[in-house]
Amino acid sequence: MRRLRTSTRVIMSMGTLERKDNSLCFKGEGKKVYIPVENTKEIYALQEINLNSKLFGLLAKHGIILHIFDYYCNYCGSFYPREKHISGKLTIEQVGCYHKYKEKIAKRIVSGIGKNIYEVLYHYYRHGKQELKEYLDWLALKVDERLEECVTINDIMAVEGEIWSKFYNSFQYFLNPDFIMNKRVKRPPDNPINALISFGNSVLYTKTISQLYQTQLDPSISFLHSPAERRLSLSLDLSEVFKPIIVFKTIFECINNRRLSVEKHFRKKYNYCLLNDDGKQIFLTELFLRMEETFLNPKLNKTMSYLTAIKYDGYKLIKFILEGEEFYPFNIKEKI
Amino acid sequence: MINITGTVVNYYVHCKRQCYLFYNKIEMEDESELVRIGRALHEEKETEEIAIENIKLDKMKGDYLIELKKSDADLDAAKAQLLYYLYILKNKGIVKKGKIEVVEKNKQNHKVIEVLLDEQNENYLKKMLTDIEELLEKNKVPKVEKDKKCKKCAYYPYCYI
Repeated sequence: MRRLRTSTRVIMSMGTLERKDNSLCFKGEGKKVYIPVENTKEIYALQEINLNSKLFGLLAKHGIILHIFDYYCNYCGSFYPREKHISGKLTIEQVGCYHKYKEKIAKRIVSGIGKNIYEVLYHYYRHGKQELKEYLDWLALKVDERLEECVTINDIMAVEGEIWSKFYNSFQYFLNPDFIMNKRVKRPPDNPINALISFGNSVLYTKTISQLYQTQLDPSISFLHSPAERRLSLSLDLSEVFKPIIVFKTIFECINNRRLSVEKHFRKKYNYCLLNDDGKQIFLTELFLRMEETFLNPKLNKTMSYLTAIKYDGYKLIKFILEGEEFYPFNIKEKI
Repeated sequence: MINITGTVVNYYVHCKRQCYLFYNKIEMEDESELVRIGRALHEEKETEEIAIENIKLDKMKGDYLIELKKSDADLDAAKAQLLYYLYILKNKGIVKKGKIEVVEKNKQNHKVIEVLLDEQNENYLKKMLTDIEELLEKNKVPKVEKDKKCKKCAYYPYCYI
């Protein structure tokens, strides 16, 4: 078990998580670790653990969310204490908004992905990677133009797909050659970088669920992703623009600073590639630290973290839904 | 049916936008440190909340109905809230006087402020209740007021982001 300074706890080993009086206790490998409920908002279980319903009562009482991953780092689901924040009015309007404006919101999200990727890659371009220029110009000049021509969600998703595949292609110019990917492979990932992307995206998705939990938005009504995905698809929508700045920036830094290496931190078995326990720990810590990094929001004149920025994107969406105020997702350059 | 609580009346005087959002369950109070302090003060002072219909009274003592507030930042709002409680009690045949107890006094000299439901106040309140209903029945969120009081409000990030 690793304790971050933050309100997130991560369970890395097998064992039993149980309620001990009014506190949480994790028993594993002959050790007992107490987890104070007061400063805990989320628990990530990255291994098989035993739980009982008495525990859920305590988690619900303190509004603690439990995210469960299986042995292969696949996200299984979350225990999400009963909804505190429900606004019937907002839900009704959100549905109306889906019918009327889903394309508009979806375009803004895809445009936001492009803008944030631009900022992430511009750093490498400035440090001499001239090969990136073509892609950067395409992002800056062509993406919004292409989006304007789109009519259906499928058209918009095609542009999104193009943005990501060109992004993956650009890795060869600035990443350690051990990690260069041939193509994006999911479920299961077949090489180290795909493993990092899949795991990182799942973690960001769960973090977005936790942030949306604090708002009155209905997490199952989404705009870019189809609400029929049998997931809390609004989290998928809102996490998109944060992927480049949270997940990919962390991946690039871990690789280029040699925190993660192919030999030491991955296991390759059959055709899968998985992070080993050390690798998970390093990557997850870096990911959480990045999410909690703070900056000044010039509009509110307040310091906030990327996690808060995710929640504020939720607020922006509420404002669009209830008040018709223009929705622009988080932009790392302007920090709003 | 519009369900007016003491908080709705308080917020109406403080900020119409806050009132409208709160009524429609767009609540932000959970995340505000100031609100949390206010709640803790209520616990510390051991107010024995009495719930009647949709209102919650802090404390009754002799002739007085007491409303506890963390600060005197918006006394007009607190007064309106208390008048509303007195008015509801009066309709049930219970006549009381009101008192606001402030824990931190920043603006006033007194920590305790008396509030009476006289004829003038009652008319003021009745007019307000009609206005509140009118506001809440509309399908339109009132605009941000852009005032310095906004900085301390739990809704600040929502309104200004």
